[in-house]
Amino acid sequence: MTESNYDEIMQLLCDRLSSLTNSNAQITPETNLISQLSIDSIKLLNLIMEIEDTFDVSIPINALTDVQTVRELVDLVYKIKTAS
Amino acid sequence: MSSTITKLNAPLTQAFDFQPSSELQLMPTPTLNTLSQQLAGFNTLTSALEYAAEGVTGYNFYDARGNLRSILPYSALRHNARTLARRLSGFNLPRGSRVAIVADTSPEFVELFFACRYAGLVPFAMPIPVNLGSHAIYVQQLRGMLESSQASIALANIDYFGFLEEAVVGVTHIQWAGTPGKLSELPELDVELQPNHPDETAYLQFTSGSTRTPRGVIITERALMCNLQGIVRNGLEIKPDDRSASWLPFYHDMGLVGLVLAPMVTQISVDYLATRDFAIRPLQWLRLISRNRCTVAFSQPFGLKLCTLRVRESDLKELDLSSWRAAGIGAEMIRPETLRNFAEKFASAGFDGNAFLPCYGLAESTLAVTFSKIGEGCKSIQVDSKALIDKRMAVRLQADGRKQNEFVNCGQPLPGHIVKIVDEDGQQLSEMMVGSVLVQGDSVMTGYYNNPEETNKALKSGNWLDTGDIGFLFEGDLYITGRRTDVIIVNGRNIRAQDIEELAEQQPEVRSREASAFGVNDEDGTTTIVLVIECRLTSVAERQSLTTRLQQLVYMAFGVNCVVELVPPHTLPRTSSGKLSRFAARQGYIQRTNLTGQLSFVESGDR
Repeated sequence: MTESNYDEIMQLLCDRLSSLTNSNAQITPETNLISQLSIDSIKLLNLIMEIEDTFDVSIPINALTDVQTVRELVDLVYKIKTAS
Repeated sequence: MSSTITKLNAPLTQAFDFQPSSELQLMPTPTLNTLSQQLAGFNTLTSALEYAAEGVTGYNFYDARGNLRSILPYSALRHNARTLARRLSGFNLPRGSRVAIVADTSPEFVELFFACRYAGLVPFAMPIPVNLGSHAIYVQQLRGMLESSQASIALANIDYFGFLEEAVVGVTHIQWAGTPGKLSELPELDVELQPNHPDETAYLQFTSGSTRTPRGVIITERALMCNLQGIVRNGLEIKPDDRSASWLPFYHDMGLVGLVLAPMVTQISVDYLATRDFAIRPLQWLRLISRNRCTVAFSQPFGLKLCTLRVRESDLKELDLSSWRAAGIGAEMIRPETLRNFAEKFASAGFDGNAFLPCYGLAESTLAVTFSKIGEGCKSIQVDSKALIDKRMAVRLQADGRKQNEFVNCGQPLPGHIVKIVDEDGQQLSEMMVGSVLVQGDSVMTGYYNNPEETNKALKSGNWLDTGDIGFLFEGDLYITGRRTDVIIVNGRNIRAQDIEELAEQQPEVRSREASAFGVNDEDGTTTIVLVIECRLTSVAERQSLTTRLQQLVYMAFGVNCVVELVPPHTLPRTSSGKLSRFAARQGYIQRTNLTGQLSFVESGDR
């Protein structure tokens, strides 16, 4: 996978997050999913389903325990995508 | 008829139409057994498994795509568990030593659980991490359980072993921690496995992820066998052609007792979906029920809500839920609308509303306390709201137009169990009067492991278990109206108010006894956690920083959002002994925020 794929994942996730949370705030890689976007469990599950369907990956639940920011989530998806 | 039997005997390997993979030749265990059905009535778990192992039924594990990943017939479970038990014997542990197992939905967990029983050890299931950013808090939760249980051995599969490895550091009783794979490399001791006694502890059930005061419920073989017998004979009236489907986590009492052990003691097959996979794609559960013609499947109301929210018209066409005769509902307050919405949505897929089976129970009573009548659906009554609040009395609504509350009939206690309602002084109340729900019977725990203080709080004289729930009896049926203020239930998860307050008090800006947590309900029944903090900070930035940090901590620990309100010192009401009163704090918050229509009658005073 190339650099552009990483950016693609980032772009897509930022777009999805902004519509999921109806947030007017600019979503950046450093945006904290928990404290700034208040992603609750249902939104999180929706997001994971979309990520899995879009990128054809499976996000292991144990990996999410180290995810707090948008960048960390993108890193995770990118890592799984490139490993698969 | 014969074609029906053929169909029942050959559930599809896939829960929905994906291309079958050629490498997978697995067939799920059949619905109909070769063995005559025995409905519980065994002395111990292992004797029940010895019997089930003579048949062909068992457990089936499906992946997120609905493909059958592995099967574990009871015969294989018996064999594998006995082998593992002989490996565990190599540790030379005294009988009754605790074994901690991180409980993902896998054959390995079930094998280890039964291996412990064959080896005379006491297993307990630990949760898997579910929340974003929860790494550190999850490790603390594991450590809390390991310490409280004084476990000698701890196991986790490879996905979770990293967390376990961190958690066991410095825990004194732990002699060995590893994966099931590592255990399988240990030698098998040539020992005779000893039968268990009904008075022995079968397992511990942890009820809260609290890091400081985890509570492990002691369940004896006798209590377990008693509860299972009530569930399968009186609650579910299990028959030879029954089959279960479940996404409930194995570390919850309903998942473990209701959907792992109850099927085994009746020798019926079960189809499992991991909780995570259900949560992301809830319809997979319904597809399993539909394709495998399952008859018994339980859920919290929240799970039904997820299904109702996610289903599309096109999904309904491919579902046939007509086989589902027992849709057990429990583990949290049941709101009739949730069930009505589900029944309405899935009626066109053949779901029969009479399948709803509301029940009531808690881990401290093994699992089940009451069951409504099977096949009769969800019954409820409307009572006058004003009488509930003013007189703490359920008065059936006579005229339209008055403000009313609707409560679900949770049915009558299992044989050998008694439910009574008492007031704050422990005096028994008559029918229709609202008070604390107490339970007595053989399913009630003997206590919390290694925790006399909490045990004394829960078990009253005469071995009456104080459930912490509030309700009333009507014609012998139990109606739950709410929870006392010490537990907040959000999306089916029990969160102890004290745990949230402790998190807050760990912040340098918050003094102890200056935080109060409780739940408030929206119009649609959604519960929101409110955390009120007495705060001396004056700078806006500092106050914002504290608020954000607290919300983040609560989210990481419990996976829920919360409202943080900072109030001046001495705002929170205290009892005569100086203790914060959550009940009064909640009333104060409701007044400040003008949230009318809050159910203030559901909770009695703090204890």
